[in-house]
Amino acid sequence: MPLSANPALPQNMLSRTLRKVAGQSEIALFVSLVLIVIVFSSLSEYFLTTRNLTNVLGQASIILLIATGVAVALIGGEVDISVGSLVAAVALPLVEIMNATGSLSLGILGALVLGLMIGAINGYLSAYLRINSLIVTLGMLFLIRGGVYLWTNKRAQADTAYLDSFFAIGNGKAFGIMPIPAIIAGVIVLMVMFIMHKTRFGRRIYAAGGSAEVARMVGYDVRRIKFICFLISSTLATIAGILLASRLGAAVHTSGQGYEFQAIAAVVLGGVSLAGGRGNILGAALGVLILAYLSNGLGMINAPTEWQLVITGIVIVAAVSLDSYKKSKE
Amino acid sequence: MRDLTDDDRSGALLRRVFNSEYGFLVVVLTLLVVGLSLAATNFLTPSNAVAILHQSSLVLIVAVGMTFLLITAEVDISVGANLAFASCVVMDVINQTNSVALGALAGIAFGAGVGLINAFVTLVLKVNSLIGTIAMMMALQGGVYLYTREAVQNHHQIEIFPKIATGFILGIPVPVVFAAVVALAGWFYLARTRGGRLVFASGANEAAVRLSGYSPARVKFGAFVMTGALVGLAAVILASLLNAGQPTAGTGFELTVIAAVLLGGTSLMGGRGTILGTVLAVLILKIIDNGIIMLRWNQDLQIIVPGLVLILALYMDQKKRGPAHG
Repeated sequence: MPLSANPALPQNMLSRTLRKVAGQSEIALFVSLVLIVIVFSSLSEYFLTTRNLTNVLGQASIILLIATGVAVALIGGEVDISVGSLVAAVALPLVEIMNATGSLSLGILGALVLGLMIGAINGYLSAYLRINSLIVTLGMLFLIRGGVYLWTNKRAQADTAYLDSFFAIGNGKAFGIMPIPAIIAGVIVLMVMFIMHKTRFGRRIYAAGGSAEVARMVGYDVRRIKFICFLISSTLATIAGILLASRLGAAVHTSGQGYEFQAIAAVVLGGVSLAGGRGNILGAALGVLILAYLSNGLGMINAPTEWQLVITGIVIVAAVSLDSYKKSKE
Repeated sequence: MRDLTDDDRSGALLRRVFNSEYGFLVVVLTLLVVGLSLAATNFLTPSNAVAILHQSSLVLIVAVGMTFLLITAEVDISVGANLAFASCVVMDVINQTNSVALGALAGIAFGAGVGLINAFVTLVLKVNSLIGTIAMMMALQGGVYLYTREAVQNHHQIEIFPKIATGFILGIPVPVVFAAVVALAGWFYLARTRGGRLVFASGANEAAVRLSGYSPARVKFGAFVMTGALVGLAAVILASLLNAGQPTAGTGFELTVIAAVLLGGTSLMGGRGTILGTVLAVLILKIIDNGIIMLRWNQDLQIIVPGLVLILALYMDQKKRGPAHG
């Protein structure tokens, strides 16, 4: 077809531009998000209100933080599923230190120390001892949850310090509209985005995840890069754990169960590859928001919670299969 | 040439056992049994041994299927949710039809049906099975509450039904008989048949299998459906054990099963694994569970110890094998 092969023809250029746009998965994700908002706005009058739209951001901020960390680990060629238990564990030093000292910053410090310790163990075992990270973090998922049960005797540890600042980080609203957890999560996600896409270290994470061998040959310390990926992932999960504890007003021993799967599903929906080295943080964040607004919208039209789970599952399968279909055609 | 003395022979045997794939597992199992027998007087009794086997059977039945799946380099995270849903189906169908056989058949068919969908999503829609089966888990967790809001109680009072979980055949608990048959059949197929070799090949080198004229997709399809059907079988036993179909049952079951299979030496990368390893690993985990109760330790350790054992086992395995990957 000599005609269509001519790149100067307008319809050809149009199709090329279109293909370029459709090939950019973030735009496709954004369009899906907008579609979800449009559909639910027409179905429920309460959906498209500033109050609802921002409330969802507040609720989604916890999974958003966890998912961003999981995305960093996945891009670095590793996986971290211990985050679901970590969220519950870090709330313990947070609440206990706060109750004992009345200081939020000391509590946060305690939470961060524990979170970083867990991340360091994950990273050391996976990156330096080279044990498969799925197994390491699966083991840690059990270990940490058991530790939390032992520590708490399976009872929620209530916050008895009643600090306004602690209440505010999970429940407050800036300017009366924007949930503070959403702002915290947003700022942190932007920071991670900057690290991943604008710094040399971010490029090294992509290199280590894409092909550890090549990265090693170029002279990168792959082990150190992967170790730091685990630190990033557990730090973000720790912040999520702090926000969750504030929202619950307690360190709840059962909290965070299943978050690891929700986060992985959202991140993969956002185009991050399980094989490492591919995907980006913006896509991962859009994946989280799509699932959050979908679930909220279904709630708004009074679909039972059960349907929300079913539909979420179907959406994930549909999105991922579409993506792999597109890749197979390329 | 001098004859081997008994001493030499047992030495050689010990060395062979230790160097075999199961060496580590056998040593751990032995240490556990010896240690617990010394520490708790009521550990090494026939009744406790039977109890341990009884508790192992549910996990083992599903773990056999999961071993097949992991060897083909696929995974099924939905087994826990499938177990809960299928147990409700079993009880419901028996209530409706007054037939245990129909109920069991329905449960197994339901489980296999879930496996079929998992296979379709993985093999036709080309969704990574980790993600596809997480999605299936969500769908089943939601779906089971749409199906029944609360536990499906036993309204049929058929006498034989509770016996599935609590009865004995020749002094052996019925679930143990089921688990033994499943494990033996799985072992025979994997280790002794050409089909079994194809299972390994499909996980290790898909392209080679295709080139030799076989379909790796068909092998994986079989592994998914079989795992689902085995979940259905486990659901029949679970429903009988609880005397109800319990929509909340099975939480975390997938992690226990996968932990056992990995501890048993099956590789996540596919192409490597044995049923015997899985059997030993399930026994180790259940003996630890049992020991914690016997020693009157805090039962929360029942979650911690398997996590530790899993990481330790993989570390030892890695050291033995040398830094092959990473």
